[in-house]
Amino acid sequence: MPSLAELQHAFARAIWDGADGEVVGAIRGDGLLPEARVALYRHHVFATLTAALAATYPVVSRLVDARFFAYAADRYIREHPPTGPCLFEYGASFPEFLAAFPPCRDLVYLPDVARLEWAMNRALHAADAAPLDPDRLRAVAAAATPRLRLRLHPSVALLASAWPIDRIWRANQPDADPTTRIDLGAGGVRLEVRRLADDVVFRVLGGPTFAFRHALVEGRALEDAAGVALTASPDFDLAAAIQDLVLEELLVGFEMEPLTLDAQPARARADGGRNPCRSG
Amino acid sequence: MTLRDEGVPRFPARAGIGLRAPHVAEVLATRPPVAWLEVHPENYMGGGPAVRALEEIRADYPLSLHGVGLSLGSADGVDRRHLDRLRRLVERVEPTLVSEHVSWSVAGGHYLNHLLPLPLTDESLALLGRHVDEAQERLGRQILVENPSSYLRFDESPIPEPEFLAEVARRTGCGLLCDVNNVYVTTHNFELDPIAYLDALPPAAVGEIHLAGHARNDADGRAILIDDHGSAVAAPVWELYAHALRRFGRVPTLVEWDTDIPTLAVLLAEARTADRLLDVTRVEAVGALAR
Repeated sequence: MPSLAELQHAFARAIWDGADGEVVGAIRGDGLLPEARVALYRHHVFATLTAALAATYPVVSRLVDARFFAYAADRYIREHPPTGPCLFEYGASFPEFLAAFPPCRDLVYLPDVARLEWAMNRALHAADAAPLDPDRLRAVAAAATPRLRLRLHPSVALLASAWPIDRIWRANQPDADPTTRIDLGAGGVRLEVRRLADDVVFRVLGGPTFAFRHALVEGRALEDAAGVALTASPDFDLAAAIQDLVLEELLVGFEMEPLTLDAQPARARADGGRNPCRSG
Repeated sequence: MTLRDEGVPRFPARAGIGLRAPHVAEVLATRPPVAWLEVHPENYMGGGPAVRALEEIRADYPLSLHGVGLSLGSADGVDRRHLDRLRRLVERVEPTLVSEHVSWSVAGGHYLNHLLPLPLTDESLALLGRHVDEAQERLGRQILVENPSSYLRFDESPIPEPEFLAEVARRTGCGLLCDVNNVYVTTHNFELDPIAYLDALPPAAVGEIHLAGHARNDADGRAILIDDHGSAVAAPVWELYAHALRRFGRVPTLVEWDTDIPTLAVLLAEARTADRLLDVTRVEAVGALAR
């Protein structure tokens, strides 16, 4: 008689890989083949996970049609089963899977559309964070400013694509004009995704602003982020760029970058709103 | 049959509904007359509008958190990270009841998104008891555990399910969530007697009842009932529910509907049907006391 752990691992293999040879020996037929009983469970697991992926990736699902989506999802679920029970967190690697999935090779824009949908899903469920009181930023000594790391709202994602994924996304909404044609040769786009009140929105950013905010999201210090933006355009205005983050309520905190890798990170840290704790 | 005050702490013994995403906005806008609401905590473990709406709803309705992700029956152990997320949500929305399932979903770090059956053995009983203890300790409160619906059973499964549930409750002090539809589905699938099943459960431990619809799957000419929560409560399940109320007394009752979700009005009508049966039970119980 197998231990409970052995039985459950064999059952899991039967579900994910269809390898039910081991587990059927431990199951009563009760008038049916044990394999048919296992298949009832397998069907439910794949149907519900496919539905979860389709809920997160409705535009991808529409672009490839439901049958092909189910086929791709089936392969994805086998290769990347969920690691936790919160289904809104399932499917982060689906865009990369699609990028490497040979049957999708001709749909060159599909992985980037999927990346946009994942960024929107992630934004919807991202942690809440109150905007930073700008006075807290003004209180930082000028000499310390270059080493500040500005923290943007947890829902923010910055996404660059060689394809017009914003127009593809809009043309595939339920209320879109079905006659819309999209010129794939029209060029790429740089997008910022965020949650605004209870909605997830995205908009097109210019090159320097995109570069600046992208560097901040990567955790780079203010002077490095400004350097990246200035490389994109010598006209980049750092003070105006920070002002925009405040006005758009995207700035939620900051911390001081440690001076050297060896130094103790004596961080001055501020959180927007609750429990601000600052040291000199 | 008597009215009881002891045992599991209870909601008012009225009918509630399982609140699903398509109905949240309507419930917030119309505040329908339903005694309480139940949600799956796994849908509210992020930030943003979902959990804010839940807090708003919580201000007006008693709330039950009915987990599907703890996998209390996993030999690999309980996911502490998930248990801690549940604890934080419990602290945030202060539900009246917290419940989970007598099942497993996780093996080898992968989540199977199904409430899978356990072999009903001494090993499973000991393991489930340890995990219920762990959950109750971490959450700082009693939980209820629900009887599963099953489409297969294991060769080596010597303990009858109601006895297994009663023993888990006895060892851990947890309550039982009696899903009457699951009792109907499981006993039908294995040609067991649903009345005998209910009669073998300890009434004092039963703190909640679930009702839902099921589907029929004709596999190789043999009808297997599937617990899909995709239709109205079936007539024989209402009959079984009436028996459960006579045996357990008036127990807070939830109507669930998870696939092909109907309008809120349809769901509320199902809850009113349960309320009428709860009212009849009150009359019978009072009559019994008077005698």
